[in-house]
Amino acid sequence: MEERIARFIAALRAAGVRVSIAESQDAWQAITYAGASQHSVFRTTLRTTLIKDARSFDTFDELFPLYFGVDTPPMTDPQSELTPEQQQQLQDALQQLLQEMAADLERLLEWLLGGRRPSEAELDQLAQQVGLDQAPPAASSQQAQRYARRMQQLLGWDQLQELLEKLWEALARQGMSPDVIEQLKAEVAANQAALKEQLGDYAGMRLMDNRAEEAQRRPIPDLMQRPFESLSTAEMDQMREQIRRLAARLRSRAALRQKRGKNGKLDAKATLRANLRYGSVPFEIRMKQRRRKPKIVVVLDVSTSMRPVAEFFLRMLYQLQDQIQKTRSFAFNDHLEDVTSDLATNDIDQAVQAILYRLPPGYYSTDLGYCLCQFQDAYLDAVDRRTTLIILGDGRNNYNDPALETLALLGRRARKVIWMNPEYPAQWGTGDSDMLLYQPLCDEIYQVRNLEQLTSAIDRMLG
Amino acid sequence: MFETVRAVQKALSEQRYIASEDIATVIFLAEKLGKPVLAEGPAGVGKTELSKAWAAATQRSFIRLQCYEGLDESKALYEWEYAKQMLYTQLLRDKLSDLLSDAQSLAEAADRLAAEEDVFFSERFLLSRPLLRAIDSDEPAVLLIDEIDRSDAEFEAFLLEVLSDFQVSIPELGTIVARHHPTVFLTSNNTRELSEALKRRCLYIYIGYPDTEEELEIVRLKVPDLSPQLARQAVEAVHALRQLDLKKNPSVSETLDWARALVTLNATALDREVLENTLTVLLKYESDMARARRAFGLGGNSGHGRANR
Repeated sequence: MEERIARFIAALRAAGVRVSIAESQDAWQAITYAGASQHSVFRTTLRTTLIKDARSFDTFDELFPLYFGVDTPPMTDPQSELTPEQQQQLQDALQQLLQEMAADLERLLEWLLGGRRPSEAELDQLAQQVGLDQAPPAASSQQAQRYARRMQQLLGWDQLQELLEKLWEALARQGMSPDVIEQLKAEVAANQAALKEQLGDYAGMRLMDNRAEEAQRRPIPDLMQRPFESLSTAEMDQMREQIRRLAARLRSRAALRQKRGKNGKLDAKATLRANLRYGSVPFEIRMKQRRRKPKIVVVLDVSTSMRPVAEFFLRMLYQLQDQIQKTRSFAFNDHLEDVTSDLATNDIDQAVQAILYRLPPGYYSTDLGYCLCQFQDAYLDAVDRRTTLIILGDGRNNYNDPALETLALLGRRARKVIWMNPEYPAQWGTGDSDMLLYQPLCDEIYQVRNLEQLTSAIDRMLG
Repeated sequence: MFETVRAVQKALSEQRYIASEDIATVIFLAEKLGKPVLAEGPAGVGKTELSKAWAAATQRSFIRLQCYEGLDESKALYEWEYAKQMLYTQLLRDKLSDLLSDAQSLAEAADRLAAEEDVFFSERFLLSRPLLRAIDSDEPAVLLIDEIDRSDAEFEAFLLEVLSDFQVSIPELGTIVARHHPTVFLTSNNTRELSEALKRRCLYIYIGYPDTEEELEIVRLKVPDLSPQLARQAVEAVHALRQLDLKKNPSVSETLDWARALVTLNATALDREVLENTLTVLLKYESDMARARRAFGLGGNSGHGRANR
C-alpha cells in the first residue's frame, strides 16, 4: 500500500501536478487517521492533501483508479455454490482437458474457475514478458489497452473461449444439470470481464510509472534561457505551466514595490484629518500614494516569427491583470485589431487561440508602419500621459514606410514607450529591419529572446 | 472528540448543514491534523456557512475576518488604542506630577517615568483584531478568513506566518502563543491565484453546486413550509438555469431565497405568473433574465412581471 501511494504521487508529479514533500507527508499522516478501509473516504483524503487546485482534479480522477482501482468487480468463486459431487465432476472434466493444453492457459483457467486474482508478482512477470517495462512513456489509454491485450494473448485468452465450450460440453455429458452449467458460465464470464479490467488498469498504471520514472531521469533543461524559436511543442507546454508560477513571483514583487512606494511624501491633508481625534497631535502619519498601478497599451506583432513570444507575453500579462490598472491590447500583422475583449474572457488558452486564429500569419505581409497609422487613426485616445505603450515586435517592416512621425507622436502622448524585441541588437537594422530608426523614439528597449528576459522585462515594466 | 467521518457528518447535520462525505472527511482530517481548510468554489454554495455550522457543532466561539484589498496587520491582528492612551495620560497628569515632583534630577524623573511605562503598553490599551482574538482566546475557537483572494499578496504572506506557528509577537508585550489552536477555515472565490505556500499548508476542498437531490434536501431543511412537489419543481428549475451559460449562476442561497419567496406568495405551482414575478430573486442581470424567459418559454423581452391574463 505504502509503495503504491508513493508511486501514485510520483505519477501525479509526472502528470504536471505539483506535490511537495510536506504535502505527501500530510497524506501519509491523514491516512493513518482516516484509514484506507472506506474507498470514498480514502480518495477524499488523498485528494484534499495532495491536490490544491480544482484544475488538477481531472488528473487526479484519471490516475486514482489506475492505482487504487475503483470498484473493480470482485472475482467470485464459481465453485462455492456447487455440491461436492458437482465439484468433482468439474475437476474431472478439467483434468481431461488440461492434459491437452498449454501451461499458460492452465493458469488462466485456474484464475477464472477459482475466482482468484492474479498476484502482483504474476502481473509483474506478465508485464515483463510483453515489454511494458520498456514501453515509451507517452501514456494514453489506447496504449494501455494495447498492452493489456498483449497480456491477454500471452495468457491464451483467444483459445480460452474454445476451451470453455469444450468444458461445458464435457460437463453436460457427465450429466450436470443445465441450470448449474448456465450459472457457472455466467460467473466465469463475469470473472473474465473483471480480469480483463484488472489487466487494463494494471497496464495503465505501469505506463504511468514509466512516465514518472522518465520525468525523474530527464534532466530539467534550463528552458528559461532557451530562445523561444528553438522550443519543441512539449517544451512549450512545460513553459506554459511555468508561466503561472513566474507570474505569481512577479506579482508579489510588484505588490511589494507598490506598498513600499507608499512611504513617499507626507500627505498633510490626510494626516490632519486622521489626527483630529487626537487633538491634532500627529500620531498617525499619512503618506501620499506615490505610485499608481500602470496603465498599459500593448501592440503585439503576431507574425509567424513573433508568435511564441507574443503568446507568452499575453499569458504573463493576463496573469498579472490585478497589478495593472487597465490594459488594452492590439494585435497586428498586415493590419491592426483590438483584441482587448478577447482577453477579457476567463480562459487564457482559448483567448490566445482565438487571437492567433483571427490574425493568420502571412508571408512577408507584416506592415508595422501602416498598423501604427491605423492605431493613430482609430485608438489614439487609448494613450494618455499615464499610459505605458508597449510594442512587442521585431521591427521588420518588409521595406514598408516605418511611419516614424506616428511613433514619435505616440511617444509624446504616452508616459513611456517600451519596445520589446526578440532579436539580437546586432541584427537590428539589417535587411528589412527598421529597429534602428525606431530606437531613438523609444524610452526603453528590451531584448526578449527567452523567458528569462521576458520575465525581467515585464518586471521592469510594472516597476 | 469526533472519531469518525460519520460523526462529523452527523454533527453538521444537527446544525442543519448538509455536508457531503467529501466535506465531512476534510473537516475530520482538519481537526485531526490541525491544519487549516481552504474552501474554494462559486459564491453562495455555503462555504462560509460551513464554518459557522462547524463552530456551532463544536460549541466554539466563531471569529470572522473579512478580507478586502488593502487589509493590513493593524486591521487583522492588533492595534494600539492611541486615543485611550492619550486620554489616560491626560487624566493621570496630576498623579504623574506627584510621582515626579520629588525627583532630584531630570535623569531620575525619566527613570521613574520609564518604570511606569508598562502601564501604557499593556493589554489594557491593546485593541485585538480577529487574528489575535483567535490566538489569544481562552476557549478553542473557529476562525474564518473569508475571501482571502481579495486581500493583497503581502497580507497572504503575513497570514502564512501566523497560520504556521499560531503565535504573534508584539514588540511592547512579547510573544503571545496560542493556548488552543483554532480551527481555521479560509474561503476563496478564486478571483486570483493564491500562493503555493499558502495552499501547501491547507487542506483543500472544492465545494461546487450540489446535485438536485442534495439541493432539494437543503431546501426541505431550510424552508420546510414549501410543499415537497413545488420544492422539487423549483430546484429542477434552478438546475436548468445553471445549464444556461448565464452571466451569474443562481447560487444555493438564492435558491433558498426563491423558495422563501414562493412560500410568502402562497404559490401553488410554478406557473407563468409566479415565474415572472419571482425570477428576479434568482437572476441579477437583465440579459440573464431575458435568456431565462426564453428558456422557460415565457415569451421574449416584453419586460418585467407583465403577465398575460
